[in-house]
Amino acid sequence: MNRRLNLLALPLLGRLLRWRWGRLALQIPLAVIAVLLVLDGFTGPPEAARNLATVTPWVHFRGFTVLALLLVGNLFCMGCPFALPRTLAKRLSLRGRRFPKRLRNKWIAIVSLFLLFLAYEVLDLWASPVLTAWLIVVYFVAAFMLEALFTESAFCKYVCPLGTFNFIYSTVSPTQIGVHNLDICRTCVGKECVNGSYQPAPVIRLDEIPGGGQKAVRHGPAGTPGCGTLLFAPQMTSNLECTLCLDCARACPHQNVGLFTRRPGRELFQVAAWPKRWDVSLLVICAAFLGLMNAFGMVPPVYELQRQLIRLLGIRSEWVLVGLIFGAGGLLLPVLLTLLAAWLGRTFMRHQLSLRETVAAFAPAFVPVGFGIWFAHYSFHFLLAPLTIIPVIQEFLGGVGDWARFSGTVDVTVISLLQLAALLGGFLVSLTLANRAALRLYRRKALAGLLPWAFVLLGLAFAAAYIFTLPMEMRGSLLAG
Amino acid sequence: MNWRLFGFLLVLLVVLVAGCRQQNPTPTSESKLGIDLAVNPDPAQVGKSMLIITVTDAAGQPVNDAAVNVRGDMSHAGMAPVLAEVKGGADGQYSLPFEWTMGGDWFVTVTVTLPDGTTASQRFDLSVASAGGMGMNMSAATPEATP
Repeated sequence: MNRRLNLLALPLLGRLLRWRWGRLALQIPLAVIAVLLVLDGFTGPPEAARNLATVTPWVHFRGFTVLALLLVGNLFCMGCPFALPRTLAKRLSLRGRRFPKRLRNKWIAIVSLFLLFLAYEVLDLWASPVLTAWLIVVYFVAAFMLEALFTESAFCKYVCPLGTFNFIYSTVSPTQIGVHNLDICRTCVGKECVNGSYQPAPVIRLDEIPGGGQKAVRHGPAGTPGCGTLLFAPQMTSNLECTLCLDCARACPHQNVGLFTRRPGRELFQVAAWPKRWDVSLLVICAAFLGLMNAFGMVPPVYELQRQLIRLLGIRSEWVLVGLIFGAGGLLLPVLLTLLAAWLGRTFMRHQLSLRETVAAFAPAFVPVGFGIWFAHYSFHFLLAPLTIIPVIQEFLGGVGDWARFSGTVDVTVISLLQLAALLGGFLVSLTLANRAALRLYRRKALAGLLPWAFVLLGLAFAAAYIFTLPMEMRGSLLAG
Repeated sequence: MNWRLFGFLLVLLVVLVAGCRQQNPTPTSESKLGIDLAVNPDPAQVGKSMLIITVTDAAGQPVNDAAVNVRGDMSHAGMAPVLAEVKGGADGQYSLPFEWTMGGDWFVTVTVTLPDGTTASQRFDLSVASAGGMGMNMSAATPEATP
């Protein structure tokens, strides 16, 4: 790892993050905010623009999340309030067996990510404080139930759509968990970073530390759980599945685990860091296309398309109507294009690599362009009215919202340039990644092997740019009217 | 950590914050004023427009000495509201300039305040046709609050 700085070694921040209750200190404020959102969602004003339940998650949270992923890392998962009931379930000793082996993959995550975006469109979550509050409640219950039923953090690792989004795009982040000295990990007896140091009764052990003699290792009720998603710190090559809970760093008795800065997106350029699995590859590819569809759901052509489908197919259900459009654009189209590009490459390059390995080689290239699309979309919403959260809070506390003062917007030209930079930057990095994959796979015929993938990436970026130039329209159901 | 203590403190904190919350005063509509809204151009489209608000009393007679506040919100979160106000009307009609900053579903809340302090509110839902772009179109109207 190209280490530059261990954030956990910083004087104040490092100490706070390494503190036994460091994560809890981040989770409590977010948990209080989540409860207040639920409260306002159920009892506050029905107008989305004036309710904490809608303004906070759909405008500010999303804006801060993409910014944090780009500049720091997976901060939302680090302070995730939904992990609190998980911890409670663990303390109540309700944990059972491991998550079923057949389900230990990203297929559920693909479905849950798709369902979240589908529900967002069909139920108009962006316009409904009550339904957004229900979504938060469902999230708490689901996290508790899965943690109560299974040993590992099954909800975070296999189900949570928000976590899945963060996992995918934390691969562009400039930080990653790592270790100072691999030799210490090799000789470590307890592997506390993954196993934890939590024991019902105190246990003291002696470890041989290379060059450091012996060290007493204490396990006890005051210990720390190991990695919830079962990642082994010295073998980590990617941020995928890392919730940045830092339990590994707290549990390590040798203080060998750190949070290191790195080159942003480093793992995207490393072949070995990326799993050659269909589920992971299609997850990141579909996430990029879902970003496109999420933006497409806000522009006039989607309403015209819906009208045509209603007329041609006689659809009466909004779930079917929107599911058809989003299923086609967010799942079917990326799968078909991916298979076609991989098949073309294999056929015309006469390459022996399997379809799965070919897709896995090019899948990381969809992360930067996908992130660019999401960043452009979320920053647009955030920058349109970044301070409106203030009058919303004022009204929540019973005061008079100073809307005239806090309704300012960032200049549209600035927003446009930022969007353009995000899309263009994402596309260029994606193209570089695809070119590297083509060079690795096809060597002297790399250009021809690159072409199908370059066309898909270009089409994705161009479609996103086109959508962002269309007039935005936010409407409810066409079927209801 | 004592988890019961932690749970208690968390609940206490939430209750305290929620308890600080006061109910916003709800405008009364006991005056039984009639409020009607017309937009020009009709149907509404993104850009500058005029709102014509007609206020009548319980007997259907025009009310001219009221203060009229208008707030336009989009159905979704994160858009700045458009605010406008006017005092004094003619034949019960109050005209004021208003800018639709984005296409989509809007609701306009008109609050009428009479000289004796009584108020009445009426919400109007309407659809605004699009123009401009979702950010990258440089010719898009800049959303801003009307002071």
